[in-house]
Amino acid sequence: MPWSELERMFLVSGFSLLDRSGDRGLLPRNEKRETRKRGGASAAIVAVLLLLLLVSAPSAEEKQLSIYGPQMSYSLPVSEHNKQEYIALLAALEPFGNVSAGVDGEKWKLSFNNLEAEFRRDSNRGKVAGRRFGLPAPFVLEGNRGLVPLRALPGILGLMLATKTEYHEAARRLFLGGAATHFTTDVREGGLSVNFSAPVNPLISTEPGRLKMTFTRDPVVSSAYILRLENPLVSAITFSENNGRAELVVQGRVPLLAQFAAGGKTIDLVPAPSQAQSAPPAAAPGTATAAVSVPPPPTLQSLAAKPPFVVMLDAGHGGDDRGALLSETLAEKAVTLALARRLRSELQSYGLSAVMSRDADVTVPVEQRAAMADAARVTVYVSLHAASLGRGVRVYTAMINSASAKPGGFVPWDAAQAGYVLSSRALADIVKAELGKHEIPSSKLSAPVKPLNNVAAAAIAIEIAPSGADVGSVNAAGYQQRIATAVAEAIVVGRARVEAER
Amino acid sequence: MTRALTIATGLLLAAVLGMGAYLYILRRNEQAGARNLPDTRPISAPVAGPPSRVTFYLAYDDPGVVRAQEASIALPADPAQRGREILHALVGEYVKRPSAHELPGGADVKDVFLVTGDTAVVDTTPAFAEGHRSGVFVETLTVASLVKTLTANLPGVTRVKILVDGKERETLAGHADLECFYDVVTVEQLLEQLR
Repeated sequence: MPWSELERMFLVSGFSLLDRSGDRGLLPRNEKRETRKRGGASAAIVAVLLLLLLVSAPSAEEKQLSIYGPQMSYSLPVSEHNKQEYIALLAALEPFGNVSAGVDGEKWKLSFNNLEAEFRRDSNRGKVAGRRFGLPAPFVLEGNRGLVPLRALPGILGLMLATKTEYHEAARRLFLGGAATHFTTDVREGGLSVNFSAPVNPLISTEPGRLKMTFTRDPVVSSAYILRLENPLVSAITFSENNGRAELVVQGRVPLLAQFAAGGKTIDLVPAPSQAQSAPPAAAPGTATAAVSVPPPPTLQSLAAKPPFVVMLDAGHGGDDRGALLSETLAEKAVTLALARRLRSELQSYGLSAVMSRDADVTVPVEQRAAMADAARVTVYVSLHAASLGRGVRVYTAMINSASAKPGGFVPWDAAQAGYVLSSRALADIVKAELGKHEIPSSKLSAPVKPLNNVAAAAIAIEIAPSGADVGSVNAAGYQQRIATAVAEAIVVGRARVEAER
Repeated sequence: MTRALTIATGLLLAAVLGMGAYLYILRRNEQAGARNLPDTRPISAPVAGPPSRVTFYLAYDDPGVVRAQEASIALPADPAQRGREILHALVGEYVKRPSAHELPGGADVKDVFLVTGDTAVVDTTPAFAEGHRSGVFVETLTVASLVKTLTANLPGVTRVKILVDGKERETLAGHADLECFYDVVTVEQLLEQLR
């Protein structure tokens, strides 16, 4: 709260925090005494307020999880045990209905509506809604409080609430039942509007050169993380998620003011009153703008100037999703993971940076894979699949019409690939050519492979089919190695083309 | 009780328990089998109408193409019902055995809705997706066949959305996107690549 406002508040209630009479010598003696008394009282109040602020201010290290449901949102504290993050399961379920828990020896039993969950102290195994459930770390019992590893919570809530969950692990944000608020920007005369798909209530703060909106209760999500604008007021907007909240930071060229409109669904960013008058001369041609413009922080500029070349290898399926059953004992998820690991080694041998969407047999939701690629701002995204139908390798690009990226606009989630589809097709052509050099039969097609449309990078999907009549050949080390070598060489060859169109 | 009698009683008890366990397993397997059977009940009454020429775009797994093929089927006047009957007949070709592009028993089109003039929404049975073979190529062939057949026979329809049992589904069988609207232009580009 600004100091002047604090003072005004106390003046209204009969107190003055500061004596600004200016010339105390003109005051009568009894008034001077009164003034001194009031000054002492003000100082005491300030001290108490500062103490209260210090006590009530949350610790910077306090970790929290935010859970967003279709009807409600709430945050819970996260505790640490043996360097693992844990959450109280009872507290996580309480907002959704009748829940109770009790300790029976080493067992901790929880009842929620008509469902039950059971875990044992220091054990990685439990039961949730009648199904066996494995925990990534041992269950912790603190008195009557049952703590489960944070990473297990999406799965547990998914089973207990019978709903779809999406977990942004790095940000500790859990979305239930498809809860999400998307936003777009609209450049208009005299300002910029941020339009949300549902009413929002962020905490808005301003600092020199930027305006920050912090969303703790609103499930605000975005596929784009940095948006640079050619706008006289705003130079860039960055979206980030951290510790159970999302932040939208607007880098202003002039001091900005945020105004709510459309019942909280729109936030209009306009020049602050003192700047509204000085802004036009600053924008006039030939006029020095340094006096009023606030350049964005150098870190943002440098981040935008030199993006690293990163390849994301997305091994299809995994965990509960086995993909196609290629033979009685061979699941697609195993083939894709093995191929992804070979391809990663090949790329690293060329000195390229490769990240994997999964490096174990774990479930990763399809949309989360695209979100990971977009968040990491990868240059190339390769989705890996396997099938028993046909021979050789099929290389796919998104089934989407190309479109140039609209300057100043957020990229729609469903059409994130539109601006990159030409470089994706070029890369697919190069992959096909390199496979040919290694005498691997291949074809190139456009196909509706999920989630190619959602990736804002050169994106292809590769589906390997058997090399001969034996379906098991898709998992043969030699065959996979030849494919990995060809694809890695294609990425090396196509790097310049992809980076040029980035 | 003599030793022989004790042994005989024990053996009989073991036999009873064994038979009980065997019966339990048999019953469970039978119930599981009944649950997995496709629902082949008719989903709507047949619609009468004069025979009309239609073009099916039939998918062939081997050699991986979609080919046009003319047929004559009875079609009603209402465009949405015509669309449903055409796709019902198309899926019927895939459910037959043998088929060049097999779809599971119980796969069918429940309804076709025409919205905003150029957009059709196709609602399929649960078996259509749940029993579909998994794979990028095989799922793509199914989607392309459905979309191209519908748009070719219903003039004006250029976008198609596929639902499963009235609900949106993420993918057909793990690969083909069912959350998007299919544009006939992009589907035709795909068919061109398949030729």
